[in-house]
Formats: sequence, C-alpha cells, structure tokens
Amino acid sequence: MFRRSFLAASAAALAAALASPLAAQSYPEGPITIVVPFPPGGSTDLLARKLGESISAQLGQPVVVENRGGAGGTVGANYVAKSDADGYTLLMGVTGSNAISAALRDDLPYNPVTDFDPVSIVISSPLALVVNAESDFTSVQDVLDYAAANPETFTHGTPGVGTSMHMAGELFGLESETKLLHVPYTGSAAALQDLLGGRIDAMFGDILVTSEYIASGRLKALGVTGTQEHFLLEGVPTIAEAGLDGYAAFSWQGLFAPAGTPPEALDALYGAVSEALGGEEMQAIFRERGFLVEGMTPTDSKAFIASEVEKWTEVVNAAGLKQ
Amino acid sequence: MDLLAGFQTGLATALTWHTLMYCFIGVTIGTFVGVLPGIGALAAISLALPLTYYLDPTDALIMLAGIFYGAQYGGSTASILLNLPGTATAAITCLDGYPMAQQGKAPLAIFVTAINSFVGSSIAIILVMGFAPAIAEFALEFGAPEYFSVMLLGLVAASTLTIGSPFKALSMVVFGLLLGMVGTDVNTGQFRYTFGLFELADGFSIVAVAMGLFGVAEIISNIGQPQSVIRDVGRIRMADMLPTRAEWRQIVRPTLRGAGIGSFVGALPGTGPGIASLMAYATEKRISKTPERFGHGALEGISAPEAANNASVQSAFIPMLSLGIPGDAVVAVLMGAMILHGITPGPNLINSEPQMFWGLIMSFWIGNLMLLVLNIPLIGMWVKLLSLPYNLLYPAILVFVCVGVYSADNNVFDIFVVLGFGVLGTLMRRYGFPATPVLLGFILGPLLEEHFRRAMLLSRGDATVFFTNPISAVFMGLSVLFLASVFLPGLRARLLRQKPGAVAED
Repeated sequence: MFRRSFLAASAAALAAALASPLAAQSYPEGPITIVVPFPPGGSTDLLARKLGESISAQLGQPVVVENRGGAGGTVGANYVAKSDADGYTLLMGVTGSNAISAALRDDLPYNPVTDFDPVSIVISSPLALVVNAESDFTSVQDVLDYAAANPETFTHGTPGVGTSMHMAGELFGLESETKLLHVPYTGSAAALQDLLGGRIDAMFGDILVTSEYIASGRLKALGVTGTQEHFLLEGVPTIAEAGLDGYAAFSWQGLFAPAGTPPEALDALYGAVSEALGGEEMQAIFRERGFLVEGMTPTDSKAFIASEVEKWTEVVNAAGLKQ
Repeated sequence: MDLLAGFQTGLATALTWHTLMYCFIGVTIGTFVGVLPGIGALAAISLALPLTYYLDPTDALIMLAGIFYGAQYGGSTASILLNLPGTATAAITCLDGYPMAQQGKAPLAIFVTAINSFVGSSIAIILVMGFAPAIAEFALEFGAPEYFSVMLLGLVAASTLTIGSPFKALSMVVFGLLLGMVGTDVNTGQFRYTFGLFELADGFSIVAVAMGLFGVAEIISNIGQPQSVIRDVGRIRMADMLPTRAEWRQIVRPTLRGAGIGSFVGALPGTGPGIASLMAYATEKRISKTPERFGHGALEGISAPEAANNASVQSAFIPMLSLGIPGDAVVAVLMGAMILHGITPGPNLINSEPQMFWGLIMSFWIGNLMLLVLNIPLIGMWVKLLSLPYNLLYPAILVFVCVGVYSADNNVFDIFVVLGFGVLGTLMRRYGFPATPVLLGFILGPLLEEHFRRAMLLSRGDATVFFTNPISAVFMGLSVLFLASVFLPGLRARLLRQKPGAVAED
C-alpha cells in the first residue's frame, strides 16, 4: 500500500513538475467552471453568466456556470475553497461569503481570507436606507435622534444574520452610538413585505429593488450607504452627508480562485475580466442594476478583502454577534 | 386598463405562434418533471432558466411558469400509481390515491386529479385576473402574528389527518418538528443540530425528506417481490376513467372548497402548495360525514388537495405580479428571470408592462387547457407503467430520485440524506409509524417558530398580539373550534353516559 502510494505520489509530483510551466503558458486548456453560491436568477448569477460569456470568448474555452446554493453562499464558497487550485474552478463570491462570514463564524469549514486568491472585485453596490412612505421619519437625522432617545426600538429588517444589509445596520448603530433593533427574515422579500405593511420601521435594501417602490410612492429613501449620490436614486443624500459622518457600507461581488492558483492563470483571468468590464453590454447591465464598476487587480482585491474582514470583525465584535 | 382591454392585450400576446410554442414546451416539461419522482418544479426551472436568457422576456416567463403549474398536474400520477409522491405536495394525494389504485381505480383517480387540477387552476386564475391588486393588499396585512395563527390552524387541522394510533401520529409530528429545527437559527445565525456537518447549515432539503420517507421507503419495502403491481392492465377504456354521476356529485363541493383554500393560501407569500393541499385535505376529512373512508380511497381525499395545490400555484403569482414579492422559492426564481430580462416586478408592473402581465395570465388559461388535453390521453400510458416488473421499474426510479435530489443544489450530500430517510421510512412502516405527520411537522415547524419569534421580537414579548390583531384572532378562534370539534364529541358522550336517562336520544 505504502509503496504504491509513494510511487503514485512521486509520479504525480514528477508530472506536475514537468507539466506546470507548460500548463501555465497555455492556460486555459479546458473548460472553466464558475460556481455561483446561490440559486439561479439572482444578481450574482447574472454577473457570473455575463462575465463567463466574455471570458469564454476571450480565452477560447467554454465557461460553465454552476449554481451551488445554501447557507448564505458559504456552501458554494466552501466547495471552491476545497477545489483544485488550477484556475479551472472559480467562485463568484460576495460580501457575505467572502468577508462577513470570516468575521462572524469560527465554525466555517473554510477560511474566507487564506483559502482564496481573488481574481478581481468586480462590482460594488451601496444600499439604500428606506422607510414606508407613510412613515414619520423624513431624514437620516430623524432616525438618529429617535434611535438615540429610544434604544432598541427602531426596527430594521434584513434578509438574515450576516448579510451585508444586516452589517450595514449594525455599522449604523455602532458609528452613531445608538442601538437599532435587528429583525432578521429569510430573504429580502419577506422583510420588504413587512416594511410595506408598516410592521417594521426601515430596511437597508438593495438599490434596484427599492427604487421600484420609491418610484411608485410606497417607500421613501432617507439615504444611501455609499460615498456619493447613486444614479438610480437622484436627490437622495448619502448617510454620511445626512448626519452620520464617515459612514459607508457596500455590498460587492468578485471572482475568486482557490488559494495557490498559478499566477499566470490569475493574470489571464484578470485580463479577461477587466476587458469584459469595458464592454458595451456589461456597462448597460451595470447601469440597469445600479452596480458600480470596480475591476480591482488581484493584489488590490486581496488588500480590499483584508480591510473588509477587519472592518466587519470590528462591527461583529462590538455588536456581540460572534458565533 | 380595464378587464376587457386586458383580455385582448393578453390574448394577442399569448396567441402568437412562438408564445404558444414556448407555453407548450413549458407545460410538457412540467408534466414530465411532475411525474418523475424527485425532480421538482424548482430544480427544473433552475435548470431551464439559463436557457431562457436568450428568449423574449414574456416568452421566457410563460415557459418557466408553464413548468411550474404543469408540474402540479403530473405530480399526482406517481403518487396514485406507485405511492411515490413526485413532490411534498403530492404526498397528500398518496393518502387516498394509492388505495384507489390498489382497488383498480387508477384511471379514474388520475382522470379526477386532471379535471380537478384544471378547475382549481381556473378558479385561481379568475381571482388573479379580477382581484390581484386587492388580494395582494389584503395579503400585505399579514404580519408575523397572522402567519403564526394560520400555521397553527394548519397544524391543528392536519392533526386529524392520519388513521391509526393517535400516539404514533403525534410522536411523528413531534419528530417532524424536531427535524425542522436542524439548520441555521434565523434570529441568531447559529447552527443548530448540525453536529459539525456543514452541509446541514441549511437544514434537510424538503425534497430529500419527502422522497426518502415516501419514495425510497416504498421501494425498499417492496424488495424481493419480483412481480409487478398489476400483471396485465389491459386496455384502458374511457369508461374506466370517467366518474359516474354519483361520483361527480361526490367531488364537486370538495373541489370548490379545495380551490378556495388553495387560492387563499397561495396568495400568502411564504406558504406554498404543500400547506394548501394539507389544509384542504384536513378540512374535507373534518367536515365529511364519513371521515372513516379517508385513507382508504375516498374520492374527496384526492379532489380537494389536487384542486388546492393547483389553485395555490396560480395565486402564488398574485403577490409577485402586483407587489413584486415572490410567494415561494419557485416564484422567486421566476422573478429572478424577469429581473434578468430587465423587468423588475414591483407595484407598477401591471401598468408598466401590461403586455407581459396579461400575456402571462392568458397563457395560464391556454397552458391549463393544453395540460388537460395532454394529460388525459397519457393516463393509459402511465397506468401501463404498472405492468413493468419491479426489477426494471424501481432501479430506474431510484436513479431519477437521486438525479432529482442532486440537481436541486448540485450537492451529493442530499443523495445520502434521501437514502438515510429511505431506511428510516422503511423502519417506520415496519412498526406502523405514519410518514405524513413527519412531513407535516417538518414543513410547518420552522414556519411556526420563525413567525412566533418574529411576532415576539416585534411586540417586545407581548403574547396578546395573537388575539388583539383581528385577522390573527379569527384564525386562533378557528383553531379552538377545530380542537373543540375533535374533543367535544367524546366529552359529550362521556357526560351522557353518566346520566343514564339521556342516552336514548343519541
């Protein structure tokens, strides 16, 4: 047994040593899989498929998108973290799966920071602080005053613990030194239902989805969580401008490879991603969905992830959410 | 836009040849997906969705929706013939459908479910057409206390569902409730009862539990029986399928009640067809003068739940189309499909995309008609499946089950879950523990807990919200009535026995 596995191992090592310089130059030699850690139909799925089409056209190999949903994206992320680091299995990761989970959980079977080599943080998107149109709150300052006077009374609904919407709310409380009451749901639709029905006070919601309700006069936006006004919500100030200096929270999406992926593969992929982002069709999709183009380099992405993990760890610890 | 103009716009869209074609493709896929055990509408739509990225958005939506409601037609076939429910919903149809098949009435049972599916759908479509915005506004009144009360009523009503030992049934409900607790705690994000298995972070998959307890258990129980269910089915004649005049009379009311319950439950986001058919079945059994026939091939026992699950699937579109709130997981994927095509469903959809809205609604009619035409001739073919020997039929079914369970999330772990529950289900059968109550607890338990805890969070721990909110109070009252109707007759009989003079009246 030992002898055979020893032989096999040395044969594999030899093969790897011989093959790697060649493989690196000719990457990709076969189909590339992008794992989307959510069911089809969501924004991550759309982004992965559109990026995949463009990468496939540029690198001359088919790109397959595989949906592996579950546990807020961590099931799919775990799968990629444990896959071969050869550049043929990639992850379309998000804030929750690749940063917040690192801050929140000790019981994750993967490490969101050390188990991945980012190819690129592709897009980011601020959230909108929205309230029911009939609500008495008309500005961020109203919310700040109310929350300061009534701790744990101002309710904000989220799609679940550890989502970027949840963290945006916790950060709001932390920076304003107030305590909001977090009401977790299973998905944003259910939270939206209670917001429309007037049973919760607010949501830090997806810009595209909430903009529909703002346009139809059912919700009003008090502020956006970004660093500047958002093109889908003209005239809505940032939360920082409106009274909470220095506040900023984004959700983002990026392409990740398992740690140890050959740099040649990362470079080839990054080149294809940044080329894709300039394309007319991608630009149109981004405008429609309210995404801000990032297209960070692998090095910048790595540093960005580190800073995000640090930021959310601080929030998670301050709010006592650590699992 | 008024109803008539909407009608015209819708028909103009739905009757173009390419839309008709995609509608047909959708309902055909739906029928087959429904018949194949394990491959549910969710898995099929998830697989088909990427293919629709290149279609016209209305065509894409019509095709995907066709898969969704088409699967409800096929779902009952395997339950009736083989006691293998294609979906959690169809597990209810097994209760009376399979006994009917054993009595040689399979063609009749399948015919009735096809007709009832059509009637249930039609009633719900009329509601969608005429009252979608009003119903959606009413559904918006439902908060956590209201949901909790509805689910509680469901649990109470369904507790009358099983036959045999009440102790065993009750213990199985509790077992189902416990199974439902596995996974991530909604309020804190903590993993519960996952025993370090990360794959359990989202709990057990409902498809895997249902397929294991019912389907795989059925197969294991039949191992060692080389013959087929029926040696020779012969030719299926129209007369075998058509109900007699008395049978028609028997199913009219249950069908209408089922459609009503289904339409109501379907319009509430977060419920789904499983709960609709459960409630419809329990109601029928409760109000029936001969409840003892249920579970032994009562025609009402398949009519009501089949009408209810189809109605609920059609009315599940109400909150999505008029408010942009998807009612269940399948509708959420459909909504994702619309967003991919640049149409974000919201309160303005009916006005901003009248062509899509009315086109979709009209396609529901056309699709349901197609399904009726498609399904009735197929009855003979499905029944013929029964003449296949077990050693050919069952391995094939096991493959479909595994493929279906795997394709939902591309997760191998779920295959082991389905096999594990298959073994468990076999043992339960062996010792006379019914599987339906497990499913019941498993579906309702997590919803009860989630809404109860949210109601408490929002009311700051004040439990009177369940009685002070008018809608919630009504459902709480109904639960009490239901319980009273179960216990009072026994109580009354006991009281009467104590007064010897009063016995003669009864």
